Amino acid sequence: MKLHHRNRISMLKRALAVTATVGMAAALAGCASNGGSGDSGKAASGSDYPSHPITLTVQAAPGGGSDLASRTIAKVLEKELGQSIIVENRPGAAGSLAVKYVSGLKPDGYHIGFTPVELAMFDHLGYDVSPDDVQLLGEIMNQPGTIAVPANSPYKDLKSLVEAAKTKKITVSNSGAGSSWEAATKLLGKAAGVEFTPVPFDGGAPAVTAASGGKVDAVVAGAGETHTAAENGQLRVLAVFSDEPHPVFTDIPTAKSEGYDVVFGAWGGLYAPKGLPDDVATTLEDAIAKAVKSPDFVDPISKTGTVVVYKSADDFTKFVNDEHERFGEVLGK
Amino acid sequence: MNPWVEGLTALLDPTVLLGMAVGIGLGMLVGAFPGITATMAVALASGFTLTMSPVQGLAVLLSIYTGANFGDRIPAILVNTPGTPAAISTTFDGYPLAKQGKAGLALVISGFAAAIGILVSMVVFSVAAVPIASFALNFGPYEFFALVVLGLTVMISISSKSLIKGIIAGLFGLFLATIGHDPITADPRFTFGLDVLSDKLDFIAVVIGLFGIAEIFDQMLSHNKLHLKPVASLGRWWPSKNEYKQMGKPLLIGSVIGTIVGIVPAAGGDIAGLIGWDRAKSLSKKPEEFGKGSFEGLVAADSASTSTLGGALTTTMALGIPGDSVNAVMLGSMLIWGLQPGPQLFATQPALVASIAGIMVVSTLVSMGLNLFRVRGLVKILDLPRNYLWASVLILCVIGTYATTNDINTVVVMLCAGAVGVLMKRTGFPAGPVVLGLLLGPLAESNLRRALVIDGFGGFFTAPIAMVLLVFAILAFGGTLYSRIRARRKEMAAVAAVAADASVPRETTTTKSKGK
Repeated sequence: MKLHHRNRISMLKRALAVTATVGMAAALAGCASNGGSGDSGKAASGSDYPSHPITLTVQAAPGGGSDLASRTIAKVLEKELGQSIIVENRPGAAGSLAVKYVSGLKPDGYHIGFTPVELAMFDHLGYDVSPDDVQLLGEIMNQPGTIAVPANSPYKDLKSLVEAAKTKKITVSNSGAGSSWEAATKLLGKAAGVEFTPVPFDGGAPAVTAASGGKVDAVVAGAGETHTAAENGQLRVLAVFSDEPHPVFTDIPTAKSEGYDVVFGAWGGLYAPKGLPDDVATTLEDAIAKAVKSPDFVDPISKTGTVVVYKSADDFTKFVNDEHERFGEVLGK
Repeated sequence: MNPWVEGLTALLDPTVLLGMAVGIGLGMLVGAFPGITATMAVALASGFTLTMSPVQGLAVLLSIYTGANFGDRIPAILVNTPGTPAAISTTFDGYPLAKQGKAGLALVISGFAAAIGILVSMVVFSVAAVPIASFALNFGPYEFFALVVLGLTVMISISSKSLIKGIIAGLFGLFLATIGHDPITADPRFTFGLDVLSDKLDFIAVVIGLFGIAEIFDQMLSHNKLHLKPVASLGRWWPSKNEYKQMGKPLLIGSVIGTIVGIVPAAGGDIAGLIGWDRAKSLSKKPEEFGKGSFEGLVAADSASTSTLGGALTTTMALGIPGDSVNAVMLGSMLIWGLQPGPQLFATQPALVASIAGIMVVSTLVSMGLNLFRVRGLVKILDLPRNYLWASVLILCVIGTYATTNDINTVVVMLCAGAVGVLMKRTGFPAGPVVLGLLLGPLAESNLRRALVIDGFGGFFTAPIAMVLLVFAILAFGGTLYSRIRARRKEMAAVAAVAADASVPRETTTTKSKGK
């Protein structure tokens, strides 16, 4: 088609294009005003809370464990609260970006977030946010850590692996530099009085793959991640870092029962900006307490190797502060 | 009943067919939308498919996966903006073809190549998934590092005109790749305390910036002077007999490379497309046409990037290890459905495996059909006056990039990359090597350093696969460098010959000399 050919058809096309452009701009404006709705709405009060949709911010991209947990709990919370919940992903800066963002929003109960165990690690790793910046609402899940070796490894139990680490280098893969599983490896070494050599990978799956292929001596990863490889005969799980034996690993001993006092899980919970009105906080906390018992939440979550664990806001806050202190000891430089 | 018959009849269920229709449509849309990737779409859709039966759910998720791999080529060819990173190498020859007025032909050829790439890799999946997948476990840090080094040699051949400028661009990409937290010690590097720099630079934002936004800026700058010809004419649609014949060799090269790269965990269509394009170029009889609108280049790039689908599925289903990011999401869904991907899936649930293969093949054929016939309407957007066209592309790029993180800073990264991109364009620095450096740099660095933590440099000597790959890399590097230098000498000689004796013009036409 010639550029200077200005007939009716091209006028029509131009009109169409203008309409499309304007339409898109309008859609953009709509998005923007939706994001700021918290400011224009009236102050939340207990009697009519929640009167409009709530936004739940996830610190990770769609598709991971955090995203799954958030979307699943959101669906159940919608029923409990009678309002729809919009889940938005704000990945970045190891997840600290999302926590920082939510903690800076208005504490009106219309903005909540999901946080993983990393919340207790951020400031030790140099990120500008800590548990003190948020108001915790309750723990909803915990994926206990496990240590596993390649299926053909000479180490049959945790003790023999620890003994070996006393005389030679034992490489242990984990999901990343500064990750919770790297911290767990260090905690285990501390409890056993040996030093493992952590090898950080880009995520849990590659770390487990490296161990499955015998590229490292062992892997520390979540129960869900090692479970698949163990089922496929690629890995042998030596111990679970939980108080009780894990539901999918009933025959695997806990590290504690093997004599190494390490209890470590990738927990996750919900939080809000600091300073929620008491009645709003109570409404949210009660809804969460009920939601975690719903089979709509428990069933999908437990199939991924994660355990549904509930802690009330007070218990959770105390727990996170303890975790924060514990990580300071192994992560402090 | 025969598991293949059982698995394929399961697809005739109307709900499964509906799921596939929805998946293909959705996949093509998100694929064509710059910024929004197949991974994001599959992840969001997996929230809705959890309550379905596995076959229904997989019909939706796998169809999005294939649909997106057709959709992402459309903006790459029409407006130089890869819909997803897998279509980066499509822009190398696709957009030049569109600028020559062959957009329609490029879309048809690209559609064919993408479909054949998937189908070839699905044959591998159906026939030999379990034995082949176990190969993936051999890839540890040493092997991965060697593979990435081999990939980095591609830098030379995608440095279009000037080798020096290409290498400078590649090093710039490698530098950009160091921004963010150190992969082993987690110390921040070049972050200036900014949150947006504390992770790696957002790859998608940089790709859209360097390709799409740079093109938009370039059009804006050129538009006033009315220098550029419109992309408006679509030309013919169907390839000639001769062009069909040309497609065979690059198709074979692309499909084989793509399938292998797909099997290696965590290496996807973006890397495969670049390597496939490079190998096809070095084996082509007309390598000088690559990057200027070569059908062979387009075919190789597209078949390589799409044949990673079957390779990645092979690793995922037969080993339980995600072959790429889309499969990582799918793996999660399968666990919730109570399915355990791994070697025993093929032994205990052959019908499901047959269903998976069936869904992939059917959705590929339907996507190709849509690509060949329905895209014609879409291509009409090139008839729009260019100021509206590029303004709309700009808006789409902004929305798509914003959607990846919901953070406006990512859009800023995209626009900065666009500004850098237009400067590079106008000074003759190619964008391909930058993207390659940014894509492969972190993989090379983190795997080398992991390897060194595990067993030091000595470990390379006990890793045969790594050694072989490194030798290949050295050969590829030396070979490409040598042929580049030789071609340049020939060119110089030809120019000199013309200068010396203007009565022999035949020399120049045979070497296609354009000077520098």
